[in-house]
Amino acid sequence: MWNEYLKRESVFLLSAGVILFFIALGIFNPALLELVSSTIHAGILDYFSWLYLISAFFFLLFSVSIALSRFGTIKLGYDAERPQYSFFGWVAMLFAAGMGIGLIFWGVSEPLLHFLQPPPFLEPYSPEAAAFAMRYAFFHWGIHPWAIYTIVSLSIAYFSFRRGMPALISSCFYPVLGDRIYGMAGKLVDVLAVFATVFGTATSLGFGALQIHAGFTHLYGLSSAISVTIGIIVIATVLFMASAILGVEKGVQLLSKINIIIATVLLLFILMLGSTPYILNIFTSTFGGYINNLIDLSFQSYPFAGYEWSRDWTVFYWAWWISWSPFVGLFIARISRGRTIREFVLTVLSVPTLFTFIWFSVFGGSALYLELEKGVDLASVAGEDVSLALFAFFEHYPLSGLLSLIVILLLIVFFVTSADSATVVLGSLTSGGSMIVPMYKKVIWGLSLSTVAIVLLLTGGLDALQMMAITAAFPFMIVMVILCYTLWIGLSQEKDRMEE
Amino acid sequence: MFEKTLIPVSYGERPEELRKIGKILMSLGSKSICLYHVIEAGSLFRGSDISWLTILQEILKELGLEVEVRLGSDHIASAIAEAALQEGVDEIYMRTKRHWHLRTVLLGSVSRDILRLSDVPVLVHKVRPKLPDVGGVITRDDLIILYATDFAEASVRPIPYLMDFKGAWCHILHVRGRMADPFAEEIEKRRLQEKLMALEVELRPYYGRVTSEQKIGDPASGVLHVSDQISADIIVLGRKKPAFFSAPMGETAERIVTSSRASIFLVP
Repeated sequence: MWNEYLKRESVFLLSAGVILFFIALGIFNPALLELVSSTIHAGILDYFSWLYLISAFFFLLFSVSIALSRFGTIKLGYDAERPQYSFFGWVAMLFAAGMGIGLIFWGVSEPLLHFLQPPPFLEPYSPEAAAFAMRYAFFHWGIHPWAIYTIVSLSIAYFSFRRGMPALISSCFYPVLGDRIYGMAGKLVDVLAVFATVFGTATSLGFGALQIHAGFTHLYGLSSAISVTIGIIVIATVLFMASAILGVEKGVQLLSKINIIIATVLLLFILMLGSTPYILNIFTSTFGGYINNLIDLSFQSYPFAGYEWSRDWTVFYWAWWISWSPFVGLFIARISRGRTIREFVLTVLSVPTLFTFIWFSVFGGSALYLELEKGVDLASVAGEDVSLALFAFFEHYPLSGLLSLIVILLLIVFFVTSADSATVVLGSLTSGGSMIVPMYKKVIWGLSLSTVAIVLLLTGGLDALQMMAITAAFPFMIVMVILCYTLWIGLSQEKDRMEE
Repeated sequence: MFEKTLIPVSYGERPEELRKIGKILMSLGSKSICLYHVIEAGSLFRGSDISWLTILQEILKELGLEVEVRLGSDHIASAIAEAALQEGVDEIYMRTKRHWHLRTVLLGSVSRDILRLSDVPVLVHKVRPKLPDVGGVITRDDLIILYATDFAEASVRPIPYLMDFKGAWCHILHVRGRMADPFAEEIEKRRLQEKLMALEVELRPYYGRVTSEQKIGDPASGVLHVSDQISADIIVLGRKKPAFFSAPMGETAERIVTSSRASIFLVP
């Protein structure tokens, strides 16, 4: 009986064991944890940073090819099935799951940081640096992240809805592993997915907590000690654990939709009260530059000057999206049942990307407008404390206090909904793909997410968060390449059979 | 079906070896041989004495075979393929050459071109079956045939030849990629099992023993592995129409022909 339990719960026990070991190391010997993680991280970056660039472009190419090929008409579900959600509801949930906290955190600060600290071949604070900053903000948050999500979500959706297998990453490996997906090899794939999800989500939660803290400090002069950030994580943990345990799925859905509406209102507010033509010009010009330079941007690692910059930004982002992809992929797959592959891929790649471009044009563009046209030095604020830039930006708009409060509220809700969904997804991944997750697993995964975020913040702050995202993503990137292969096999077999 | 065989020969062909080849072909049912020599346009031996061909002819005649000698020119492989059609032969026989003291399993470019261009079946003699010693004979009773099939049109064409080979054992092998889910896999396995059983029944009158097997994996590697496992003498394959990007005679056939230690009988 004990043996049977060990066999059944091996993914849970193995992944929980690894995470627990990591947490214990962070608490009892943080120096050793830092040494180990920074060594692995440096090794990955030194030898494989190019691989992240090539992989991300390959995922994009593969997604588009699948959508436009003869496979595009295959439905993610049975032939007669209809989509479960309305188009707007579906897109809103896609967006909330895929970006959420990150977009609020980086919307103002990323363009400002590129403007302040561009690669060595550009002059800081120059108009060229501004154009470069906007283009790279579009690039990092553009079509590539969604292509990464597409690979995982499409694979899971196809193999579970169309082929009737459990909603697990290992299910997608059946064409290469066969019945070994039920053995050690398959379990290892699921453990890698859990590992990437925990560190990817913890990174986002860390960002969210830092910014909520910065907002409170900015508004109410709260202490900037790390203990306050930890306190915020603890409170948010209580909220999302309660939500996950009580199973308020409908409430979470409603909150996600409200969040998107609030974010859109905020966006329109800044667009109307800022220099609207300037923002729209930035959008148009950056969009053109992005399309024109897409191939160059995709493969550009600036090996002769700016290599460090590319590693710190582009490689970090690609790794972060990859580490988020098991969680977001599972979520997107679940809400996309009944749609055709073409509709799924083209919508996922285009609609959220376009919204993100508008978001960056409005927030980043307005911040650059203040910098270049009004002489407001926001970039140095972002340079000193990246989480503070948004609140400093709001000071130049009416009702800045209210705007800051709304953003803090948005962050808290995104934090709670993301962590809640991640807890459920982790529970499902470690329960053989079942959506009925025992409460003890929800508790363990919820606590793990928060504890990992706290440990990372204590050991190295923002750098540690970024470092772990890159490290956790590396093995999963290889898993994703294999996913492309198995998906291709599955789709080819289905089409061949239909054509016979 | 193997009554008339075309053997491409070149200067330096060893008479003793040709005698052994003649014995093997006789054991397979050959009664008539066409020795075919191509003289290339820029060859140093152009216009030289070709009495060596008469010696080869006599050796085969001694075995009781009908032998005719034909000469051709221009591109070697094209000339051989064309002659095979004109002479109405049933097969082309090619022996892989020795390289120093190693009996290589690799093919030369001419052999590869013949395999690609020929409209009649080609028997490429490799390490197995061994050529009989002086005075020794090869009989069909020892012959182990491996028939690799994917049940596509190209794989069906060798079946009449398989019936003609006869022999001790015919092992039918189907190697494929795994299906995308366990349910589809089970259905496919059952479907193929039925087809393999039907083929076994069809071939049983011609062999002492007929068995079949289905494997999952890379077809070329699977065929080569099983061929070595059962010490197959001849691998019988159908030649597929190559895809645009693939190797000239089809990816799988190309790899099997290149790497196999067993002889290959490739049916176009």
